[in-house]
Amino acid sequence: MATVTAPLPGVQSHEENKLRISDYLKWSVDHKIIGVQYMVTSLIFFVIGGALVMLVRWELLTPALDLVQDGTQFNQLFTMHATVMIFLWIIPMFAGFGNYLIPLMLGAKDMAFPWLNALAFWMIPPAGILMLLGYFAGQAEAGWTSYPPLSTLFSPGDGQTMWAIAIHVLGLSSILGALNFIVTIRNMRAEGMGYFQMPLFVWGILATSLIIVMATPFLAGGLTLLILDRVAGTAFFNPAQGGDVLLWQNVFWFYSHPAVYIMVMPGFGILSEVLSAHSRKSIFGYRAIALSSLAIALLGFTVWAHHMFTSLMPSLRIPFMLTSMIIAVPTGIKIFSWIGTIWGGKIRLTSAMLFGLGFLSMFVIGGISGVMVAAVPFDLHVHDTYFVVSHFHFVLYGGSVLAIYAGVYHWYPKITGYMMDERLGKIHFWITYIAFFFTFFPMHMLGMLGMPRRVAVYAPEFQSLNAIVSISAFVLGLSTFIFLYNLVYSLYKKRIAGPNPWRVLTLEWATDSPPPAHNFHGDPVFFKNPYGFGTEAAYRYLEEQEKELGPSYPYTMEPEKRSVVTAPASTGD
Amino acid sequence: MTDASMEHIEAHAAHDAHAAAKHEAQRIDNLKFGMWVFLASEVVLFTVLIATFLAWRVVNSELVHEVHEATGIWLVSLNTFLLLASSFAMVMGLREIQKGNRGGLMKWIGLTALLGAVFVGLQAVEYSILASHGVTIYSSEFGMRFYAPTAMHGAHVIVGVIWALYIVNKTRRGSYSSQNYIGIEIFGLYWHFVDVVWIILFTVIYLL
Repeated sequence: MATVTAPLPGVQSHEENKLRISDYLKWSVDHKIIGVQYMVTSLIFFVIGGALVMLVRWELLTPALDLVQDGTQFNQLFTMHATVMIFLWIIPMFAGFGNYLIPLMLGAKDMAFPWLNALAFWMIPPAGILMLLGYFAGQAEAGWTSYPPLSTLFSPGDGQTMWAIAIHVLGLSSILGALNFIVTIRNMRAEGMGYFQMPLFVWGILATSLIIVMATPFLAGGLTLLILDRVAGTAFFNPAQGGDVLLWQNVFWFYSHPAVYIMVMPGFGILSEVLSAHSRKSIFGYRAIALSSLAIALLGFTVWAHHMFTSLMPSLRIPFMLTSMIIAVPTGIKIFSWIGTIWGGKIRLTSAMLFGLGFLSMFVIGGISGVMVAAVPFDLHVHDTYFVVSHFHFVLYGGSVLAIYAGVYHWYPKITGYMMDERLGKIHFWITYIAFFFTFFPMHMLGMLGMPRRVAVYAPEFQSLNAIVSISAFVLGLSTFIFLYNLVYSLYKKRIAGPNPWRVLTLEWATDSPPPAHNFHGDPVFFKNPYGFGTEAAYRYLEEQEKELGPSYPYTMEPEKRSVVTAPASTGD
Repeated sequence: MTDASMEHIEAHAAHDAHAAAKHEAQRIDNLKFGMWVFLASEVVLFTVLIATFLAWRVVNSELVHEVHEATGIWLVSLNTFLLLASSFAMVMGLREIQKGNRGGLMKWIGLTALLGAVFVGLQAVEYSILASHGVTIYSSEFGMRFYAPTAMHGAHVIVGVIWALYIVNKTRRGSYSSQNYIGIEIFGLYWHFVDVVWIILFTVIYLL
């Protein structure tokens, strides 16, 4: 283990690094500002996407049409809900985490291409606004999958074209962002830091970025053809004029199946950090977790047609069923490694840890239903039913969103310099966790009973289950405001976090909170094992911090016991 | 000033120079590797468009031959030659600046831009010939699959021409030198890539 000689950052006055709100509204090339810009923008879109689905669930309270005028309006609602949540919430939110944390974790001053980084961010707000403005031109209504001919012949509104252009721009933005991550991770690691000494969040972002760079251009190609079909009168997807509808499904899913890993692998990374830090134990199976990310990235490209079991040549079903099921192996390796990580640890049930455990439990359910729908005979039964809706919400909400929450509770002290309110955090967790389960679990049953997805009107016998789902969904929606309130409240409450409130060994905690303009005072010294809790070096490092910064959790959580020793700020070099 | 303090200052200067050199080496490596990653994603984009053509091409061979007879291959062969020549000019430009000759760089990169612009112009001529034979983007099965990839490529050439002109302008203001030519190398990677894509398009669409 590396002996740590780096000077402790010390708790210094907050005013020096203090950034004003106006700094976040301007063009900036500082990765930390860009990271926060990503996160706040995504949160705004999260609220918009959430509001849209509240309307969807309102409509589905009763079997008849009551809220919306007709099916078209309902189609617009769920189309925009899905698109906003995927392309404007989860993907950019994780990009925000990546931007903020990657250079810090690697001990770098900034990303490899700061200017490009800012450009990638600033493409997002205009694209998001363009997409939402489609409302005034006949909103997109073909679902987020936008299958032709629904998205061509049967979507007369210009909103669909605006949707496609917006996705195109968002895709370019995420390619540029991913390119930046790949170059940063390859070239900007602290001197002497090997790939297998990087924190696992970095591995998660690396695998994600590789997928983005190789898969997103597929979507770009497909969208180019779709836009041409809509505006230039071509017929790439119209069989009547020599086109092929399945072409879209193949191209789209060749991107969008890997894209589901884009939406969850950074979450895997967050989970590794949170579980290890809050159970005070080294990661179990570091290399297994790191390499299984790459395995998932690779295998993710071989499974796309499992979305098309009902439209594909029957002879192709079995191979895709097998590859899809094989994905469960590297995912299982991760799950068991995480359980191994917390096993016998000194678990601290902080809000971050609760959400981490929430992820672990709910993602397993989503993973298992994923193996179920990978099986051809079962999928033919539940294809396009609520079972599928349930499956992907378990992995995207129970997985990605809970991971995002865990990450926010974990890194908020680093980003703002203040602790989040733990009591509110725990209330947020329990309401979210329970409401989440009752929102999405009954959908399994609805799907098995045969309720199709994407319908505004359904058979009366589904009503009671739908009522449970809708009411839980409203609770889930409201629980989000506890979180949003906590974000703002903690900023005003100003409970000072200090550089390393959780007593973690990774590099982002080896500097001030929030970090100074160039991240570190002097050259950061890293641990060869970033999770080496219990090693002598780590013990000495943390003991020294305990002396200098005062006691850590649970004392930092409670205002009356908080004792922040103002150590003289170290000068570094 | 004592000798010891002079030594100290020199050591500091050496350290700074070393750090600056390291920083510069990293910047160059970042740019090169970043460009390669970007080109990898471009490969995927063109793969979609070319595959769309090929998947149709294998089952519709007669239609393609009709079109080939309508346009002939001379114009496009000339165009291909011009684009290849522009890549040569690009390499010559890089060679000149490596020798420290800014004037040579401007001449050769200017020629690259000119050849690229002529390429786009001749492609427009070809489009109009095809259109006069009734092969337009919306009226024919061949048309849409032909125009989409070639126009996407044409857009890349236009971006390249603008980039080349930008380099010429920067050179005129004295930007590059025999020590600093990474900007030209990065542009070269892009330009050669655009060239290679054209070779593939030419083979797949015109020669097969």
